[in-house]
Amino acid sequence: MDKKIQELKNKAVLEITGSFDLKSLEDLKVKYLGRKGEVTQILRSLADLSIEQKKVIGPQAQALRKELEELIDKRSAELKNKKTRSFDVTRPGKKIKTGHLHPLTLVEKEIIDIFKSMSFSVVDSGPEIETEYYNFDALNIPKNHPAREMHDTFWLEKNSAKNNKMLLRTHTSPMQIRYMEKHKPPFQIIVPGKVFRYEATDASHEINFHQVECLMVGRDISLANLKYTVEQFYSRVFMRKLNARLRPSYFPFVEPGLEIDIQCVKCGGRGCNICKESGWLEVTGAGMVHPNVFKSAGYDPKEYQGFAFGAGVERIAMLKYNIPDIRMFYNGDLRFINQF
Amino acid sequence: MKYSYSLIKKIAPGKYTKEELVKALNTYSFEAVDFGGDVFEVANTSIAHRFSSGASHLGVAREAAAIFDTKYIDPTLKRLNFDYKDKGIFKVNIKEKVLCPRYSATYVTDVKVGPSPEWLKDVLEACGLRSINNVVDIMNYVMLEVGQPLHAFDADKVKGGIIVRRGKNGEEIETIDGNKFKLSEDILVIADEDKPLAIAGIKGGKYSEVSLKTTRLLVESANFDGVGIYKSAQKLNLRTDASVSFSHDLSPELVEFGMKRALVLLKELCDAKIYKTEDIYPKKQPKTVIKFDLEKIERIIGIKIKKAEAQKILLKLGFTISRNMISVPPLRNDIEIIEDIAEEVARFKNLNELPAIAPKISMSAGVEEDLVIIKEKIRKYLSAVGYSEVYNYSFVSEEKLELAPHEVFGIKNPIKLANPLSVDFAYLRNSLAPYLEKNLNDNLRFFDQVRLFEIGKIFGNDSADEGGLKVSEKTILGIGIYNKDGFLEIKGVIDGLLASLGLVDWFMPDLNLENNLLESQEALRIELGDHSVVGYLGILKSGKNGAVLELDLEKISKAVMEEKEYEPLSKFPSVDRDVSVLVSSRIKVGDVLEIIQKADPEHVNDVDLMDFYEDDKFGDKKSLTFRIVFQADDHTLTDAEVDREMEKIVKFLKDEAEAEIR
Repeated sequence: MDKKIQELKNKAVLEITGSFDLKSLEDLKVKYLGRKGEVTQILRSLADLSIEQKKVIGPQAQALRKELEELIDKRSAELKNKKTRSFDVTRPGKKIKTGHLHPLTLVEKEIIDIFKSMSFSVVDSGPEIETEYYNFDALNIPKNHPAREMHDTFWLEKNSAKNNKMLLRTHTSPMQIRYMEKHKPPFQIIVPGKVFRYEATDASHEINFHQVECLMVGRDISLANLKYTVEQFYSRVFMRKLNARLRPSYFPFVEPGLEIDIQCVKCGGRGCNICKESGWLEVTGAGMVHPNVFKSAGYDPKEYQGFAFGAGVERIAMLKYNIPDIRMFYNGDLRFINQF
Repeated sequence: MKYSYSLIKKIAPGKYTKEELVKALNTYSFEAVDFGGDVFEVANTSIAHRFSSGASHLGVAREAAAIFDTKYIDPTLKRLNFDYKDKGIFKVNIKEKVLCPRYSATYVTDVKVGPSPEWLKDVLEACGLRSINNVVDIMNYVMLEVGQPLHAFDADKVKGGIIVRRGKNGEEIETIDGNKFKLSEDILVIADEDKPLAIAGIKGGKYSEVSLKTTRLLVESANFDGVGIYKSAQKLNLRTDASVSFSHDLSPELVEFGMKRALVLLKELCDAKIYKTEDIYPKKQPKTVIKFDLEKIERIIGIKIKKAEAQKILLKLGFTISRNMISVPPLRNDIEIIEDIAEEVARFKNLNELPAIAPKISMSAGVEEDLVIIKEKIRKYLSAVGYSEVYNYSFVSEEKLELAPHEVFGIKNPIKLANPLSVDFAYLRNSLAPYLEKNLNDNLRFFDQVRLFEIGKIFGNDSADEGGLKVSEKTILGIGIYNKDGFLEIKGVIDGLLASLGLVDWFMPDLNLENNLLESQEALRIELGDHSVVGYLGILKSGKNGAVLELDLEKISKAVMEEKEYEPLSKFPSVDRDVSVLVSSRIKVGDVLEIIQKADPEHVNDVDLMDFYEDDKFGDKKSLTFRIVFQADDHTLTDAEVDREMEKIVKFLKDEAEAEIR
């Protein structure tokens, strides 16, 4: 190609593709292809050339003109498509309305997930209206015994058709019997559920609240296994390593019976206002299932043993989220619920 | 019960401080709380099982001696010299041998009633009792120290002898605090020939009370059946330290220790002369012997334990062991089985130091029951589409029972509590809707739109007659909304929800059930394919923008399990046709949809209402636009085919709905 044409082409292509708006592109069109444009002038000057030169330069100049015309059209289209003002992507995103699950649901779900990961099965909560038998007698809490006074009970006005006294369950433990009546060991289950206590309400007491019953039965399930399970569970729920402390206590449906403390979830045991400087929090009553409970369920207590404990869902939620008053869970206030 | 630290120290002398004692009791024995001064407290509930030896200074000192490895100086072992060789003038006749397994009485003379010495007053005061006179104080002191409740009668007021019998209807007794109680067959009394002198095991009577003039006593140390005393105390609504102790099943063996200790003190402090004790104990408490099964103890605790170590713990607590058999001390009638022995070993082995050991179990998948899974799916769906979850009380007022159309769930009669906390909480809820309506209103103070839901139980009595309760308990989903066209939103939400659960077939015909919650013409029932009713939804009477829905989750859960099945996807494109009609405003969208269905067009995949328009310019008519989606499984539909089906539909709309096609 003729050197002059080549140089012109390089320059024109660079300028056209680098043009930033329609106005400057129009100027370039005039500069190269206008009546006095640089390409036009080459074409006009062809008349002064020899036949041989005309044959060489003519087509090249024509081709260049065509090429630049196309390039200008293309660039023009590009510039037209380009919006004059770009979208401000720094504006805040649109608010998508989603609902919020209740904090007790969130905690219960976490509890379920932790236990499932340890091979426990989850049993649906079972009846909230119970017979005296399942809530008390079958659990070795006999009639006319002071042990029943530990359970302030809501009784129903009418008895059942078989004239059994009916009540609102005071704990999830009746589900131990109901489950064992239908299943054979070995097994490990949890049962989350709502329970009821007849008592005055205050910041830490409610007339209905939630428990998760934990029951593991086999041939040699032990207190040491109970301690392990409790430590694993509470450590994972509060997302820090927590040791458990077992203290002797009394619940009629377990023997040995224990009170379990865990290291304070806030200070880890150093002592703070949450644990009243003791470093420990009392979290659950527990123990080895009493042989009389196995007998109620139709098991041979010589053959099986196991542990049981009940975790309070509200208590865990209050510690986890720093909620000061248990009654907040039951007032339906979305300003509270929507924080979770 | 409150305890005196200095008295514990007398019985179990050692180098421990009060703080150390309280801490150690918590670690090894039972929950104890420091009360300041000489006093600490142990909750009765936490030592209930060790009551006959535990709820006394002797019992607690026995624990202290075992913990700190000190001497144990049992004051009941002090020698007692009787002043007379006979039993004096009184006879004892137990008429109720089941309710009173043991009764002992001692005739005591030459008693000098007066003030108690300071050391005795101090112990009483520490334990929260008032000093009255030396005789009464000794009775109370022995109860605190030994654990056996005692009573002293003024012997001159006892005529003939002691009869342990049931009360008679019409009998009355005035107790030492001046209260009067009507007696009956259910209540055991201590009587003489003439009348009741005391309510057995609960409280003494005024008539035979010890006074400053008293010189002769009849001292009672007896054992009463725990259930009997518990029931009597409940019936009389009279709780005393004695009744609480007896209710926990004291060992009848304790009787003689209590008596002996009281007599020793009466001689010491009141210069009394003592006759021989009359002791009626027809059926001696059998000796408890348990096989020393160390392997079982190890299995329960979960660690290896040296036999000698277990043995040492048991011996310190007063057990005796010979030839692999453990003899339980008579006062420990709470110990019956090897598990009880395991507890004694475990707590003195120091539960604190028990290692945490992972259980060895065969691997199995942790599974969740169907209803647990459904509930979780619903929660995920509803929260994702903007609904927040509430938890409400299970209790409602009578007035709220009448609100919702609970007949939908087959709930007949309400369930009333025998002991409600208040009238607002007198019944169990038969619907979630009343609280949801309240939640909507409460939240409207802070939000201009409210969307919420609850999953919970409702309750009813299925038995209509006066007979027994037939409990019906159902797991229900309730949804509430307050927003413009809120009803249509929850209607759409429930369609989406049911579809997401995998249901394919449900209808929403008119509710046709008068109720106080919903506008009667503005409510629908939710029916499954088999026409079983599973719920309802409707517009609230209390506000046009409010709507609620309730759904029976157990029925839904069953339907979901049955229904889910794969349907092949169509390979052929669908064709949409829109049709706009002008119909009388009396005709509902549901009616028009039914007519379209009646036209029985082929290849209709879906019919959607695209536009609903009411305007004055239409007079008493409204404009509806439907989009009808056609699709065939086996070929691509032609325009001619679709036109033919549309003609059918249009004809039916004209004929049956008098529709004007626009």
